[in-house]
Formats: sequence, structure tokens, C-alpha cells
Amino acid sequence: MTVRLYHRPDLQHPILFVGWPGIGNIGMIAVSTLKEILQARELGEIDPLHFFYPRKVVIEDGILVDLEFPASRFYYQRVGEKDVLFFIGEEQPSEGGRMYARGEKAYQMANFVLDVASEFGCHRIYTSGACVSPIHHQMKPRVCAVATSSEVLQEVKRYSNTIVMSELGERREGEGVITGLNGLLLGVAKSRGMEGACLMGEIPDWLSGAAFPYPKASRSVLEVFAQILGIEMDLHLLDESERQIEEIVESFYAKFPKEMKEEYDQRKTILQSRPGTITIQAQIYIDEQYKKGSEEGGEAPS
Amino acid sequence: MSNTRKEARKAGRPPVRIDQNHGLQKPSLLIGWHTQDIGKLTSKVLNFLIDTFEGQEVGEIEPLRFFSFGGVRFKEDLVQFQESKFWALKRHNLLIFKSDEPEFEYYSFLNTLLEVAEHHFQIEELYTLSGTLSLIAHTSPRRILTVYNRRELKRRLEGYGLEPMTWKGPPAISSYLLWVAKKRGIQGVSLWPEIPFYLASREDPEAIRMVLSFFNQRFRLGLELSWLEREKKEQEEKILDLRRENREIDDYLCRLEKGLPLDEEEQVKLAREIDEHLGKRG
Repeated sequence: MTVRLYHRPDLQHPILFVGWPGIGNIGMIAVSTLKEILQARELGEIDPLHFFYPRKVVIEDGILVDLEFPASRFYYQRVGEKDVLFFIGEEQPSEGGRMYARGEKAYQMANFVLDVASEFGCHRIYTSGACVSPIHHQMKPRVCAVATSSEVLQEVKRYSNTIVMSELGERREGEGVITGLNGLLLGVAKSRGMEGACLMGEIPDWLSGAAFPYPKASRSVLEVFAQILGIEMDLHLLDESERQIEEIVESFYAKFPKEMKEEYDQRKTILQSRPGTITIQAQIYIDEQYKKGSEEGGEAPS
Repeated sequence: MSNTRKEARKAGRPPVRIDQNHGLQKPSLLIGWHTQDIGKLTSKVLNFLIDTFEGQEVGEIEPLRFFSFGGVRFKEDLVQFQESKFWALKRHNLLIFKSDEPEFEYYSFLNTLLEVAEHHFQIEELYTLSGTLSLIAHTSPRRILTVYNRRELKRRLEGYGLEPMTWKGPPAISSYLLWVAKKRGIQGVSLWPEIPFYLASREDPEAIRMVLSFFNQRFRLGLELSWLEREKKEQEEKILDLRRENREIDDYLCRLEKGLPLDEEEQVKLAREIDEHLGKRG
């Protein structure tokens, strides 16, 4: 069980952005896109052998050529006066075929990431994920935040299009669970005296079980990342995938019966409505092939 | 029995139990998994070898850490429990490892297996054994597809009629094991005899015969395998009865014999009908 670092750059109190797969891959797409835009350099990786089953074997003419494991990599870059670290995990370490990490391995993985962050003097961490909410798919997703301290929460609230969890619909108490490592990492960070926030892009509840990504919410998260870093960002990298997903979603929406559509369209005006029967009805319009067979997770209204 | 278990627990390693008086000298290791035993190939081949050559149990990897213990399976009304055991066939200097596939800590499990095989038994090479489902008819010529972790071993096994496999996709545990073995400098080969998809849950005497014939040749075992020819013939006759009774099934099998595909619905129907028919009269 090791962490391999290829370089030892001299970083000054870097900020760490972290992304793992989850609902709509919102967080992972946001962090990966940020890494691409900033042309971050590879810093190192966590040895996958202890955490993952290999995902691909390459056999050519009877010879086992290669075995590929999900990667868990660190990157770094300087942005203006700020040093930035990235960690992107292609899979959450899980046992028994679950999508979201839990248990000993999840805790170990979280600590490995934070060990590297600490080594470079990092005190601020941002994870990202999905916030399943009764939003209309034609509306701009907001970014819902949970933080390790009220100071960080106040700071995050200042960013545009960002709300804290207690401001979201039925969550007046700001209670809930962030499933998997996008949540656990923050908990472990807090216990180690590090600060941070989880920034979750809104995804319509009826799309939360779909197997396709939801880049529209990743864009909202990226806009908050840009504010954190104090930079302008050209997000055209997301245009094509966003257009493609929009087409699929609109094709489902077009098949809604008239009454259901009318009820659903009220979401545009009554912003934080309670998700009702429409959610279940609408989901039948998602073709089976697009559905995930795995457990639910992420942040969802209870 | 050694005190290996106590030592392992002290060192935080998975506990293993080894009989130091196994009597093997640089044996070849044959590995089979109980999990998803397609065509009952693994259990039939390895149990036959153990029974025929009076194999002795010489070691075990304890299941703790590797299995969920969420209940107990039963098969043919008999309770099954996870086991990962080594058997010695002294007469032919063969070591057999039969196990369920681990549910957790794959890498640790495979390393433990190879650690035991390497340091306690000093194995020379390893062979893994699993059936692979194929869209062929039971009357069609069969192949044993193979994957090697060293080119030298591939060269050495030329002339045995084995067919090199080409594949990119999710790995089976045998491929993972070969990869770990390669890292440890142990040469190995995975044997993947083709099994018609509709015999997946039944015994496939032809696949079993092919693998035993290969081992017979490779290790000069002197096995008499005509009983498998008879079993194969009996199974063919039973299927022939069904073909006579059911034209649709006959048509599906004719198409497979000509190398033509079946759609999903046809495959399901063929598999169900043959499974029921063999179960009814078998």
C-alpha cells in the first residue's frame, strides 16, 4: 500500500480539489475539467492494488499483456498566486460490488489523499458531487454546499448561484448524508484539523438514477471553482457533452403525458417544491438501458 | 501441522495452515474455482484427479478477511461453505488448489495463495482451469483457449493443440492471478475450454475429457478416460431425443452447427429446453 509521488514541487498552501464518480458524475467531471483547463501536471498516484479489482485485461495471441486498474491520481498547477492540487479517483474503493466507498478501505483512501495534501501544506479542500433535487431540467442547476466550519460556510455562501443545504427545499435543518468518499473525505479532513466544503451541483431527481453524466450541473460547480480561484474560465470543453445529454433528456421529457408535463413544469415557478409522484412516473420514461443497476447514493432529499 | 497460523496472525498476515510433510518436490500447481463452475468442469476435473490419485489435503487459506459470511449457500440440498484448500497428489508430483473466489481483498488473497505455493511447496509452474461459454453446438469441434504469462511457457506447450486467446475486457480472477504470478516470477497458463452455452449448468463431458487429456499428456498420468466418451455419447443421445421431439430446438442446434448465430430469445429458449430435458432424464 503506497502513494507514489513523481515530483516534489514547492507548493505554497495549495488548495485541493477532489473528485470521485457519483450520481451524474457531476463532481468528477467538474474536477477533471478544471484539471484540463488549467493543464495541471501529474504529481503522483495511490497504488491501486490494495483498493481495486482490475477493470480490464489485455490478452494478445495468448499472452497476458496488461492488466488495468482504476487510477487514483494527484495533479498540481499554479494559478496566479495560488497553488492548486487535484486528486481524481476513477473509482471509489468498495467491497461487495457497491458503487460508493465505505468501511476500512474508504477510510484508508481518504487518509492517503489527506496525507499527500498535508505533506504540501494544504489546509483547504473542496470535494464535489451531486445534489438530487426537485429542479426542472431546463433550469440552471444551483450549487449546494456543506462545509466543515461556519467560517467556510459563510465564505462559500458569497459565491453566486450557491446555496447552503438548509436553504434547499425541505432541508430547513440542513441535515442529510453525503454518501461515499466525496463526503467521507471532508469528515476525515475535519477530524485532522483541515477545512473544506463539498460543492454539489443540482440534478433533477428523476435523472438521478440514469447512467449518463449530467455536465450541466458540472458547469455550475466549475463556475464556483472559478470564483474560488479568482479566475475567468472558458467552459466550452463541456459544450458538446452538455448538448448531447440535453437532447436525451429532452427526448424523455417530450414523452411525458400532458398532465405530468404540466405538473412538472410548475417546478420552473415553484422552485423548491417537494418531489411528488411525478418523480416516479417520469422515471418510467428513462429507458432501462440508461439506468444504473447499483445502489442509490449521493445527496438526495429524504 | 505447523504453527504457521499463529505466526501469520502475529505478523498481520492472513492465516494459513500447511502440512509440512506434503512430500512434493517442485510440483506443478493446478488451480480451480468453485464459483461459477461452468459445465461443472473445475469440480469434475480436480475431484477426479484427487479421487483417482488419492490426493491428500495439505493446506488451507483460512476464509476470514476474504469472504462476507452473510449466510450459507446450499447446492443440491447440501450446505456449502467457503473453502480454499491445497491437495497433494504425491504419485505425480502435483499440487491442487480448490477454492471459492474471494469476495474481498483479492490482491491479498492471490498473493497469499502464491506465497504458500512458492515458499511452502516451491511450485514450478501453475495452471488455472475455468470453462468459457461459447456460441457453439455440443457436436462442434472444441478448443481449449489459453492465456500465458510468459512466452517461454507458450513455446513449451506448443504441440498440445491449445489455442491462444485474444481478448480485451473485464478480467476473470484467473487472469488476475496470472498477472500477480508474473510479478512474482512464476510462470503460468490459464486453460479455458469452450463449453456450449446451453450446457453451462450441466456437466459437459467433452470439455472435461479435453482438459483431462491435456493433463494426461502433460504429466503422463496414465488416465483411462473412456468413461467420459461414454458420458458424452449418452448426453448426445439425450439431446438427440429432444431434437427429434422438438423441431425448433433441432433448428437452433442445426444453425449453431453451421456456425450461424441465434438471437437472445432463441439462446434463452435453447438453454432452458436443454437444461430441463437433461435434468428430467439425467
